[in-house]
Amino acid sequence: MPDDSSPSLKSPRQAALAGMKAAAGLPSFMLMASLIGVGGLCRDVGYPMGAAVASTILVWAGPAQMVLFGSIAAGVALPLIAVAICVSSIRFVPMCMSILPMMREPAIPARDGQPAQKGTPTWLLLILAHFVAVTAWVEGMRRLPAMPKPERIPYFLAFASTVMLAAAFSTGAGYYLIAKLPPALAAGLLFTSPIYFTVALAAGARQSVDWLALVLGFGAAPLVALVVPAGFDLMVGGIGMGTLAYAIHRLQRARRSSGAGT
Amino acid sequence: MTATLAALEHWSGGLWPYLVVILFGFLPSEIWRWASVFLVRGLSEDAEILVWVRAVATALLAGVVAKLLLVPSGALAVVPVFWRWGALGAGILAFFVFRKSMIAGVIFGEIVLISAALLATG
Repeated sequence: MPDDSSPSLKSPRQAALAGMKAAAGLPSFMLMASLIGVGGLCRDVGYPMGAAVASTILVWAGPAQMVLFGSIAAGVALPLIAVAICVSSIRFVPMCMSILPMMREPAIPARDGQPAQKGTPTWLLLILAHFVAVTAWVEGMRRLPAMPKPERIPYFLAFASTVMLAAAFSTGAGYYLIAKLPPALAAGLLFTSPIYFTVALAAGARQSVDWLALVLGFGAAPLVALVVPAGFDLMVGGIGMGTLAYAIHRLQRARRSSGAGT
Repeated sequence: MTATLAALEHWSGGLWPYLVVILFGFLPSEIWRWASVFLVRGLSEDAEILVWVRAVATALLAGVVAKLLLVPSGALAVVPVFWRWGALGAGILAFFVFRKSMIAGVIFGEIVLISAALLATG
């Protein structure tokens, strides 16, 4: 099936440019606003500015970076900090698992005179996985499905490295700037993540299962936080409500396919 | 353990902060990303299990948002709880009113929140 010879197929370079363009607006602004505080936290523990920037590029998860520097400031033992970060980062598993197959090209064996095609190599998948965090995930899930497969990897890499660069810059700037920010503005900066994630999730929801997961996950969070020990509540709520949303989705689908007869 | 860390800190000198970021920040979070690369081996893009995985990821993120507002950190805590949720509601409303515009959602949410923060802090 020659289905990828569409005339509108972008070259890798054009796809990368489109990714950078998509990153330049709201996503970069949001990440800059939410990571500016990490620079200040890093400064508070007496580490150099480079360590703050390195944490953005290497850890690439705002909440984990805040836990890292915040806990060092509070005098928590380093191995315990690593455990806390490890537990909170389990959320990357469902994110990476849902977005990586969208980008990976399968290996195709040689057949009918066509040469064998190598699939996306593992080292490239590891690099793609490193860029997965909330922002790249919500934007990727929203935009990648509409794109031809060969455009997806250059688009995603360009998008994610652009927002990472903006975030790294902001972390470094925050190291020097954050000390004297009016409290109302500081509150506004901290509010950027929740409001951006909410509208991005709503914008990316395509099927009823997405909306169900969104509403159930949101509504159940206060209850789950009461019952489940801190640190595990997000994971338990996510798996529980995600599974419930999926079960309802399956039931609806089953009813629809048998509905004509009854 | 403590002695080993102290020795490591001494030995690494000025590079210690970077070592801390790599050992106690980067590695504990990155292993999950690497693990995922091997977990999705052989799964096609439209595998049924991925519908469930995606629902879990979405519910998890919704939980993260709710938690950021329920247990706010730092400066966000000065904004009364009613206004934190009100600002989120205003953002969602603006998102739909302006034909699913994310920018409108973020701007209206921020306006409500910063106004409430100004009033709360005087």
